Amino acid sequence: MPAVSVRNLAKSYGEMQAVRDVSFDVEKGEVFALLGPNGAGKTTTIEILEGFRDRSGGEVETLGVDPANRSTQRWLRTRIGVVLQELAVEPYYSVRQVLNRNAGYYPNPRPVDEVIDLIGLREKRDDRVKTLSGGQQRRLDVGLGIIGNPELLFLDEPTTGLDPSGRRDTWDLIRQLTSLGTTVMLTTHYMDEVEALADRVAVLNNAEIVAAGTPTSIGGRDSSEVTIRFLLPDGTTVSDLPVTVDSLEQGLVEIRTRDELQLLHELTGWALERKLALTGLSVVRVSLEDVYLNLTRDAMEPSEKAVK
Amino acid sequence: MSTTASSAPSPSSPSIPTTGSFHGLSDVRLVGRQVWYEQLSFWLNPLGAFFTLGFSTIFLILLGAIAGNSKIGSGYGAVKLTQYYLASFTAYAIMAACFTVLASTLVNRREMGLLKRLRLSPVPTWSLLSAIFLSTMIVALLQVGILLGVGTLGFGDHLPPQGLAFILAIVVGMFSFTALGIGMSTLVPNPDAAGPMISIVFFLLLAFSGLYFPIKPGSTLANISGYFPVRHLITALLASFNLPPGANPWAWHDLLVMAIWGVAGVVVALRRWRWAPRRG
Repeated sequence: MPAVSVRNLAKSYGEMQAVRDVSFDVEKGEVFALLGPNGAGKTTTIEILEGFRDRSGGEVETLGVDPANRSTQRWLRTRIGVVLQELAVEPYYSVRQVLNRNAGYYPNPRPVDEVIDLIGLREKRDDRVKTLSGGQQRRLDVGLGIIGNPELLFLDEPTTGLDPSGRRDTWDLIRQLTSLGTTVMLTTHYMDEVEALADRVAVLNNAEIVAAGTPTSIGGRDSSEVTIRFLLPDGTTVSDLPVTVDSLEQGLVEIRTRDELQLLHELTGWALERKLALTGLSVVRVSLEDVYLNLTRDAMEPSEKAVK
Repeated sequence: MSTTASSAPSPSSPSIPTTGSFHGLSDVRLVGRQVWYEQLSFWLNPLGAFFTLGFSTIFLILLGAIAGNSKIGSGYGAVKLTQYYLASFTAYAIMAACFTVLASTLVNRREMGLLKRLRLSPVPTWSLLSAIFLSTMIVALLQVGILLGVGTLGFGDHLPPQGLAFILAIVVGMFSFTALGIGMSTLVPNPDAAGPMISIVFFLLLAFSGLYFPIKPGSTLANISGYFPVRHLITALLASFNLPPGANPWAWHDLLVMAIWGVAGVVVALRRWRWAPRRG
């Protein structure tokens, strides 16, 4: 049984369709990312899965129960953890006090000291929340999300507004949690976050999933063209090269291919034979950002989206 | 599109406990525990605690010192002005804690995402919200205690001769203004607007409701302020002190008007309440 199962989920507010025909599964133990621009429906989807918001249509199960079912909602909330977009921590408590308080909400909480160690705030455990840096507050926020020892953790844009080191710290913490067996579902609009953390990703745009897969294969990324670049060696011309060149600008050769292995073999063999250097040689696959921008480029013309 | 092959979600496990068999802290114990944490949070901000508790006291001391042994006059005869202030500032303390402070607290917590986090915790939200309201009432009662101490020991005022009438006026006042505070919080869109919006409503009502001076019954001011609950809490508390002399300490009419306003606050709160930040 998957940790989360969503079939044809729909949510509308009056005329406005916030989520339309969304389906996906999140397997136990994996990190699943919902990627999309602001207003795409990420938070609405996650709030429906948490049982915070009711759906307009479709089937949803979170840890085997319907999150909208009031009779099992309380049980469900002992098994899930939630980290919101906002840094939702009261400023005057100490780190230990706020974790102690929330531990009392759960029947089987994680020991507070264990959580403090997990979130790396041992040195700050008696400090007031308001004296913590943004990254430390976010880690405490994640600590509040895991204090109930959840099987499934929802992270809604966990690193928005953090500086690069705060983001890295949060990523490390999420990796630690997944190594302990926690299933993580996160929303984000950062490509590097998806690449660093997610086992699988779905891209939401204008209330619909427009692509899904692993971060390395989504949108046909793994089978798309790669671009090979290098500086044309001194004393040679383009016609000397053993391959067809797509462009040459100020000595920089650019070749696009789907068979980079064969092309590199021919190219490097040619250079080695002539004792030539291929200065600045690079092989660049289309980035996740390129795929994402393509997928979310034009909401009005869905037929043009490169859903592969 | 689906990310995996479709399969119908499996039916819920029959072993999953429902609300009735939840094994956590009992809900009532949880309220007590949560009130303790609410109080801890209040006292961990000493400056905020000082001004919340001290504002009405400082006002009473200042106005009492200026008034000295002055008498109220008109319908109150030889009653000291400080006795009037003791009753009216007791009303002020309840309104400040239960209306202005509570409304601002709720707006701030909603916009910070704290209410949403409470909603998503496994404990019943009524118990967590009750703790916020009870903690607010504790602060209000502390202020009332401090004011009574300052009034009797500092200015020689007497305690309400009808203690039960005084307690009833305070209980109804706390209910009414707590409900209005919750209702008001739902009308304020963000923390920046909370201070100005709540203060304007509060101080306008205070200004013509007889906080600083007695209002002649039947006057235009009394008629206008009679529509609002502030005037009625002041007059109910004055009545419990037998002010003006000969007044019935059981101010049923005032209590009824406050209760009606309280119910109105509950209706607004139920219709407009939201757990998530408005920007979210």
